[in-house]
Amino acid sequence: MTTFTFILIRQMPGNPFSIKVEQLMREQNLTVEEATNRAGALFDFDPNRPLLEQYTEYMGKLLRGDLGKSIISSEPVMNMLLRFLPWTLFSVGLGLLISFGLGILIGMLMAYWRGSLFDNVMTAFASVMYGIPDYVIALLLIIVAGVQLRILPFAQMLGGSTPGIEPGFRLDYILDLLFHAFLPVFTYVITSLGGWMLTMKSSTMSTLGEDYITVARARGLSQRRLLTAYIGRNAMLPLVTRLAISVGFIVGGAVIIETLYQYPGLGRNLATAILVRDYTVMQGIFLVIAISVVFSNILADLLFGLLDPRVRLGKEDAS
Amino acid sequence: MTVTPAAPEVVLSVRNLCISYLTRRGRLRAVNKVSFDLHAGETLALIGESGCGKSTINLGLIRLLPPTGTIDSGEIVYRRRDGQTVDVRGLTTGQLRQFLWRECSMVFQGALNSLNPVIKISSMIYDTAAAHGMDKKEARDRALDLFQKVRLDPRRVFNAYPHELSGGMRQRTLLATALLLRPQVVLMDEPTTAVDILTQRSIIDVLKRLREELNFSVIFISHDLAVAAEIADTVATMYAGEIIEMGPVAEVFYRPRHAYTLGLLEAAPRLSVGREELHSIPGSPPDLVEPPPGCRFHLRCRFATDECRTTPPPLTTAPEDERHTVACYHTATILKTRQEELARD
Repeated sequence: MTTFTFILIRQMPGNPFSIKVEQLMREQNLTVEEATNRAGALFDFDPNRPLLEQYTEYMGKLLRGDLGKSIISSEPVMNMLLRFLPWTLFSVGLGLLISFGLGILIGMLMAYWRGSLFDNVMTAFASVMYGIPDYVIALLLIIVAGVQLRILPFAQMLGGSTPGIEPGFRLDYILDLLFHAFLPVFTYVITSLGGWMLTMKSSTMSTLGEDYITVARARGLSQRRLLTAYIGRNAMLPLVTRLAISVGFIVGGAVIIETLYQYPGLGRNLATAILVRDYTVMQGIFLVIAISVVFSNILADLLFGLLDPRVRLGKEDAS
Repeated sequence: MTVTPAAPEVVLSVRNLCISYLTRRGRLRAVNKVSFDLHAGETLALIGESGCGKSTINLGLIRLLPPTGTIDSGEIVYRRRDGQTVDVRGLTTGQLRQFLWRECSMVFQGALNSLNPVIKISSMIYDTAAAHGMDKKEARDRALDLFQKVRLDPRRVFNAYPHELSGGMRQRTLLATALLLRPQVVLMDEPTTAVDILTQRSIIDVLKRLREELNFSVIFISHDLAVAAEIADTVATMYAGEIIEMGPVAEVFYRPRHAYTLGLLEAAPRLSVGREELHSIPGSPPDLVEPPPGCRFHLRCRFATDECRTTPPPLTTAPEDERHTVACYHTATILKTRQEELARD
């Protein structure tokens, strides 16, 4: 995985050096020589070093837990990751939690009252929302709600928190975080909710056709018990795998949204790193994405075992 | 063979029950003007081909038809132990929930799918008990006792998940669960179909014993005539949504008066020597969206005459036994054919 990323990002056209040179030429009207000299003084990166040498150095450091330094800012990549990761985990994680929870609930009710007005309205809503990419929603939000209608105080909502506010476990700080996370979270929920609703609906429909649901009805069970332990729990099983995949993509899933909303997460950072060809930062972020995908799959397997006794191993409770 | 004691009271009375399904081609009348009485302690077997409406009757009796099915007309009257009568069709959703399982429970076909795979048997028992106001301790004791009665290892089954049980064990678990609240009527939809012959044997034995001990009535749906003959007091043959012949089990099997019942009996394998060929009934069941005129069986019937093709035969009572009713014009010919066959065997 690391080898693959390492090679891949070096196949991108341009390198950090040449991009900086171009930027200097454009912005400060320097000649090629002047710009090259200036850029060479700015960072210690030699694009002409053999690839194999760069690679062995990178891998050697990686094994010792050293992700190297940013080519552009010289800040250790590990520090950058630790600084940006919590923002993304917080905003996208919250969004995922909300959309999954809501989607499961609405999808189940849609199937339960299939054919009703509620079902029809929600199916239409979900299908439309499912089809719109997140950046379109984000742009629409900015343009319609922020610029034209002025419902939302956009200028203040951008960024991760209000500048100058002191971080801490206090109500005003938490509220401020939520205030700033609102836009990315809302956009994420809107765009992913439809998918959860539709999947849960179809899963619930097939569960409703199972014999044990008819038997449970025949036993005179209460509506609530039927919906939770009999219909909901069984219908949710196939969605757990999908949830795990989504958890894995939390880290990499918000590049455009974070850029649009100026949210200081890993996604926006990745976009910046790609623009200036900051190899080490890109490598670091891709590594985090890969690790999170692997770990969320392990998590899914554990969760699956918790929900479905059939995949549990051994007999831990024979009481 | 168990014989119904003289005139026990009627626990379930069904009159002119009509059930239809909405299909793309129109209304499909799956059950047409079905009437019968189920007495206390009696076992009524409904026999017939797939798609003849047996299972639909069962689901209709407890009002659990799929969304496309509706009860169009007819009466379903249930008589409680205290003598009060219950109009099942008139129950509200809440009342129906109380009625189900406490008064009338069900054992479905396909034990594999009848248990919720993600909860333990104990949770299933507790859920059922909680829905009917039985406390946990009593439910547990009662369940363990019933598991014992159906020859299961009570403690092991009580704490097991469905996938840890074999097919036969699950079927017996369902049977025990059906009796948890001491219902008067148990509907059984092919309870022995999905299990092997030995398990089938043991389930029938268990069922017979329980029936004697707990005295409940059974409506037993089957296409296995041998099983029906063994367990039932009364047999009703169904064809194309109608009960076309009904009577005490010995009467119907030894003195059938309807061409379709005769056909079913001829199609059943026997143990007699030398006669190895089985007769099947030619053709397939009629289209129930547009049923044929006259007797619904006439297209496949070797005794059919013009009368059969135009006017549906009325239900008549056999002269030998007033409990034996049949809807056929050629009862005498059919009876004679059967008796000749039996004499030959």
